[in-house]
Amino acid sequence: MKVLIVEDEPALNRSIVEYLSSQQYLCESVNNYRDALAKTELYHYDCIVLDIMLPDGNGLNILRELQSAKKTDGVIIISARNELDDKIDGLRLGADDYLTKPFHLPELSMRIAAIIRRKNQQGSVMLTFEEIALDTSAKTVTVNSQNIMLTRKEYELLVYLITNKNRVLSKNAIAEHLWGDDMDIADNYDFIYAHIKNLRKKMLQAGARDYIHSVYGMGYKFALV
Amino acid sequence: MKLSEKYNRLNVAATISIFIVGSCCFYFLLNYILIRELDEELKSEKQEIESYVVLHGALPEVVHTKNQYTFFKAAHAPLETVYVTGKHNYDGEEEDFREIHFTIAVQDRTYLVNVATPLEGTESLLQAIIAITVAMIAMILLAGYIINRVVIRKLWLPFYETIEKVKGYKIADIYVPVTEGGQIDEFSLLNQSINEMIAKVQQEYNALKGFTGQAAHEMQTPLAVIRSKLDMLVQDEDVARKNGQTITDIERSVQRLSRLHQSLLLLTKVENKQFSLNERVYIDQVVAGKCSEYDEMTEDRNITVSQQLSPTEIIFHHHLADILINNLVNNAIKYNRAGGTIDIVLIGKILTITNTSRSGQLDPFKIFKPFYRSETDGEGSGLGLSIVRQVCDTAGYFVGYDYVDGKHVFSVKFI
Repeated sequence: MKVLIVEDEPALNRSIVEYLSSQQYLCESVNNYRDALAKTELYHYDCIVLDIMLPDGNGLNILRELQSAKKTDGVIIISARNELDDKIDGLRLGADDYLTKPFHLPELSMRIAAIIRRKNQQGSVMLTFEEIALDTSAKTVTVNSQNIMLTRKEYELLVYLITNKNRVLSKNAIAEHLWGDDMDIADNYDFIYAHIKNLRKKMLQAGARDYIHSVYGMGYKFALV
Repeated sequence: MKLSEKYNRLNVAATISIFIVGSCCFYFLLNYILIRELDEELKSEKQEIESYVVLHGALPEVVHTKNQYTFFKAAHAPLETVYVTGKHNYDGEEEDFREIHFTIAVQDRTYLVNVATPLEGTESLLQAIIAITVAMIAMILLAGYIINRVVIRKLWLPFYETIEKVKGYKIADIYVPVTEGGQIDEFSLLNQSINEMIAKVQQEYNALKGFTGQAAHEMQTPLAVIRSKLDMLVQDEDVARKNGQTITDIERSVQRLSRLHQSLLLLTKVENKQFSLNERVYIDQVVAGKCSEYDEMTEDRNITVSQQLSPTEIIFHHHLADILINNLVNNAIKYNRAGGTIDIVLIGKILTITNTSRSGQLDPFKIFKPFYRSETDGEGSGLGLSIVRQVCDTAGYFVGYDYVDGKHVFSVKFI
């Protein structure tokens, strides 16, 4: 899976590349508009992570170029501006998603995975990990081909964990994924604990192994070991 | 007191006193002139009598006319000629007369001659003059009144238009310069000064607005870097094991800072009126939606939520409505106690949210101020209610707080 990262802030650019590379993505990165345009004209990417505020141009123009060249690259906009108009403009110009800075890297990774799944026409909408399989279009989960019933939040949590497998996910990142930015109620962490507990219980009951590991009280990790 | 009224009073007082003083002077002057005239007549009468005496050596025959009475009397010695005014009854009626008294010698005998002319004509003249004066004062006052009522009002019209415009001016609106009243220098000067002042204010405001927006935006990028670095850092299990709590604390602070900043940005945008309030919003649906979003939280805390929502359609903004309701409902949950209640009532475009709480009465004057926190409250941004107030102010709604029976009551009037 090839991903292009267009981000002018070098430190953020490096982090994104590092995190996505660890997720088995093949990352290329540029830090200005000119290079981004050159790359997108020459190559095809499964997903482009696009900062729209670049020092030498507006990232939205890249979307226009892609549209006029009838390219099907997935695009996720990352912007410091949490403006409704920007989102609407971006999505109208063919972006698949819009993420406001500051975001968590696992969130970005999960959304990229979702875009790629959607774009992948003949490919499956299935997300699998060992004996667990998620049908992301029907939003159903099976363990060893047996359906299990999850609540909406539990399902979202599972998607998030599986797409960020083998990574440590802080409670904060999980909370923000599940409840978004509006929910600034302090003891979200207890809810995460409750959801993790319930999810783990349901999975174990269905015969799955325990893949959810607690990491020193600061977060969780979904992994074989 | 209005300027014209004040001016009027002075004007009327000055006019009346000038007329009174003027009329008095006029009266005395005229009186003096008329008496002099009569005296001349009497003097020539005296000369006529003297020349008659010289010519005929006898007194002329006395002929009384209505305008002149002549009397001769024997006198002992010659006297100085004198003019006097006095009342006499010569023809059955008491009248004022101007008289001349002089002596004349006729064939060794001396006679006192008394010639009198009635003042009646003079008096009617004076009466006429006084009547005219009074009439003139009245007319001038009347004219002044009419001029003030009609003309002055018309003349001041541009001034009031300017004032109306300044009154209705809001800094976030686009300002259309006042141009009326161009014919009158004072008003043109006023308008020009106001236009210049507002242009300056608006320029500064725009600069500030741009700065706030830019500064807020610039803050998100470093936060994004910090957050991404923390996400990377926790991948190192060694670091995670040793610094779990530290990293969690940093993450929470980053999140708090980010939220705070988002709230400030939102507050600025609402203040700058960057949202056009022209969307149909069904407030009851927004409230119901919010409540179901928070189901999980309320269930977990064993909070009972009761809703009584009548369909309410208002012209508002979807995003702002969402924020408004979110902040109120969020607070009602956040500051509630376990096992508490929240009652939400929406009737007649008035929304009231009543909730039990861990804290007692809040200061109704302070709670809507930015960064106000009650002592029991630690985590909030301190901006939630400021945003509510600002949104309501912008939309022209009223938001109020009350403390009834140990419960916090927030009400919003969408009117």
